[in-house]
Amino acid sequence: MGKFILNIIHRPEMVPEYAEKVTGQGKKEDISRKSLLTESLDIFKLQQQIAHDNGFKTTIQMTYASLFNEEAVSLAKEHHEKFGDEISLTLLGLPCKEFRDKYKTKDFCIWMFSMEDKKSIVTDVFEKFYSVFGFYPTSTGSYYLDAELTNYIKQKYPMVKCAVATCWEEGPKAYRTCNNSWYTLFDGGPWNPWIPSKQNTHSPAANEEEDSGIVAIPHLSRDLLACFDGNGSNFGTHPQNVLRGMIYKDGEYPYLYNLIDQYRSLEKYNNGYAYNMMFVGPGWMNKAGRWEAPYELLVKSYKDGMAYYAQLRDKGELEEMTMTEFADYYRANKTYTEPECALWKDILCGSEKQLFWYVDPYLRTCVDMNQGGALIDLRPYVSKIEWPVGIGTKHVQDASYPFLIQSMYRAGYFTHYAGEGTIKSCKITYKGEEVDLCLCRTKAKFSQNGKDRILTLDPVEIEFSDLTLKLVSTFTFTEGTGKIKISRKIIEMSNPDAVVHMNEYITACYGTTEYPEDMCGIVLKCIGKDDVKEIVYKYKCREDSVSDVKKVEAIIPQIDTRLSMTPMVDGVEGYFREGYAFSPMFTLGLTKNISNNEELITCLNLEKAD
Amino acid sequence: MSQSGKGRLNYRCPSCFMRDLDIDMFYDKDKDEYYCLRCQFTGSEKDVLEKNEMARFRYRSMLKRITDFD
Repeated sequence: MGKFILNIIHRPEMVPEYAEKVTGQGKKEDISRKSLLTESLDIFKLQQQIAHDNGFKTTIQMTYASLFNEEAVSLAKEHHEKFGDEISLTLLGLPCKEFRDKYKTKDFCIWMFSMEDKKSIVTDVFEKFYSVFGFYPTSTGSYYLDAELTNYIKQKYPMVKCAVATCWEEGPKAYRTCNNSWYTLFDGGPWNPWIPSKQNTHSPAANEEEDSGIVAIPHLSRDLLACFDGNGSNFGTHPQNVLRGMIYKDGEYPYLYNLIDQYRSLEKYNNGYAYNMMFVGPGWMNKAGRWEAPYELLVKSYKDGMAYYAQLRDKGELEEMTMTEFADYYRANKTYTEPECALWKDILCGSEKQLFWYVDPYLRTCVDMNQGGALIDLRPYVSKIEWPVGIGTKHVQDASYPFLIQSMYRAGYFTHYAGEGTIKSCKITYKGEEVDLCLCRTKAKFSQNGKDRILTLDPVEIEFSDLTLKLVSTFTFTEGTGKIKISRKIIEMSNPDAVVHMNEYITACYGTTEYPEDMCGIVLKCIGKDDVKEIVYKYKCREDSVSDVKKVEAIIPQIDTRLSMTPMVDGVEGYFREGYAFSPMFTLGLTKNISNNEELITCLNLEKAD
Repeated sequence: MSQSGKGRLNYRCPSCFMRDLDIDMFYDKDKDEYYCLRCQFTGSEKDVLEKNEMARFRYRSMLKRITDFD
C-alpha cells in the first residue's frame, strides 16, 4: 500500500481576486467595502468548518490583508489551538488599503514586482506576521515564486521550509482562456512537489549546492492530459474548477473523484508515494454564484470533495499533512535525483489516450503513446536557466521555463501545408514508402530496474505495400543522467530478409509561447570519427551529414543548452537540417538500415551549454 | 435603452466556451437576452443553458466513475 498525502490549504483573502470584479460589477471599485470583507471572511470560515467537520487539519495561509483583520487573526489562533492547523503566510492576497497606501500600485502578483519591491514586500508581510503571531511562518507561497525571490526569502527567513511555487501548465493557455487578461505565465514546471534549484524555480535541484532550501508544492493537482491542451483552471483538484469546466450534471461530478484517484494511482511509479493538494480561494465560493453555478452548488462541491478525501482517510488510504509537516516528510523520504513519473490516461473525453510524464533535475518530458511514443514536450532542466522575472527584468510577466519541444505551441507531427513542428519520433522507410511512428497509436507499461525507469510500448504494426513489420519502442530514463535511451526494435517481419531504413529524429526550437523566437546563432553539428560538419543557423534551409557518426548536436545559446543524440550501435549516419523562416526549427537525426530482430538504439542527451 | 449589466450567475458565452474562452456575458434587459462582447452570440437564458449542454459533448466520460488507471 502506498502513501497518499494531502495538503489542504485555505486563505482568508479579504479581497478575493474574482469577487471584486464579479460581485462588485456596477459599483465603483472599493477594496475596503465592508460587505466584501464580511463575505470573504465568511467563506474562509465555511471552508475551515468543512475541513474540520471532516476531521482534517489545514494550513491557514494568512494574507497580508488578513493580518490587519482581528477576527481573521483570532480565528487562525483558535484553529491552530483546537485543530492543529498550521498558521502560514501567503504572498497572494496583498491588496488592501495598507498595501495600496504604501506601494501606490494595483499590482498583486509578487513575482511581477521589481526585486526592490519584492524585498520590501516580503519584509513588510513577514514582519507584520511576526508582530501579530509572535513567530515567523515556516511555509509560504504564491501562484509562482521566482528563484530570486525564494533565495531572498530563504536568506532572510531561513525557517521557511515549504512554499506553493507554481501552478502546473498555467501559461499561455490560461492567458488566452481569460480573454488575454490573466497574466499567470509559468508553464514548464513539475506537477508534483519538488525541491527547486537556486537558479530556477521550475528546475529541481540536483544536489545540496543547488538546493534552494524549500520544498515546493504545486498550486493544485492538475489533470496531466487535459491541462496540457486546455484551460488548466477546468481540470484540477479544486471542485469549483470542475464546475468552471462544466464537467458535471445534476450536481454530480465523478470526474473530480476520478482525478483524485488517478493521482493516488501514481504511487505505482514513484516508490509508493502519491500526492494531492487542494487550495480554493474564497472568491470561488461567493454568494452570488460563479460559472453558472449557484452558491449552493459551489458549497456542495467543496463539501463533497472534502468528504471524499475523508472517506479515503477513514479507509487508511490517505494521510493529511500541513505544509510544513509535508516538507519534513519529503526531505526525509526523497533524494535529489529521484524522478517523478506519471503514466497518465484520459479520464474525461473517452479516448484511450495515454501520456507518460517524467521530471528530474535534468529534464522534463512527455511521451505520447497516441503518437507511437513521440516526445511532445521537452524542457532542459539541466541548464538551470537563469530567468529573472518582474518589473526591471527582460521578463516582466513570462516566468515559463523554455521548451525545446512543445507540440501544442509549435505544432508537432501535423503542420499546415508546409514546414515542420517540434517532436521527437522515428521514421521507417522501405522502397520509397515512409511511415512515421507518430501515426502508430499504442499503449505503454512502466517498470523500474534499479536506477532505470523503463517505458515499454506495446508493439505497433507498420504496413508497406509489400512488407509488414512489428516494432517495439522502449524508453529508458536513467536517474541522475539527463539522458533518455531509446530503442526501436523490429520483432517481426513478413519478409525476414527485408531491410528497412530507420531515421530517429528530433525537430526542435526554443521558446515559452506559441510565437517563434529568433533562431540565429544556434549551432548545428555532426561529429563523425574523422569528420565534423557545422553550421550556424541563418534560416538557409541547409543540411549536412556524416557517416559513422559519434554525435549530432545543437547548441542553443539563447537558453544555454546543448541537445545531442548519440548512437549506441555501430554503422549509424548522422545529419542535421536547418530550418527556414516559415519553419523556424532544426532537426537532428540518426539513421541506419536494419533487419528483423535488430534494433536501433540511440541516446538523447541534454547538457548545459557552457 | 439603458446600459446592460451582469445577469444572474455570470453566464459565460457558450460559443466562446467551446473555443476555450471564458467570457462573462452581459444582459440586455430591454431585449431579455444575454450577449457576448467578443463574438456574435446572443440568446435567452434557456438558449444559454441548452448550448452549455452542447458544450459538454467532448466529455464522453464525464459521468463515468473510473477505477482502473492502468
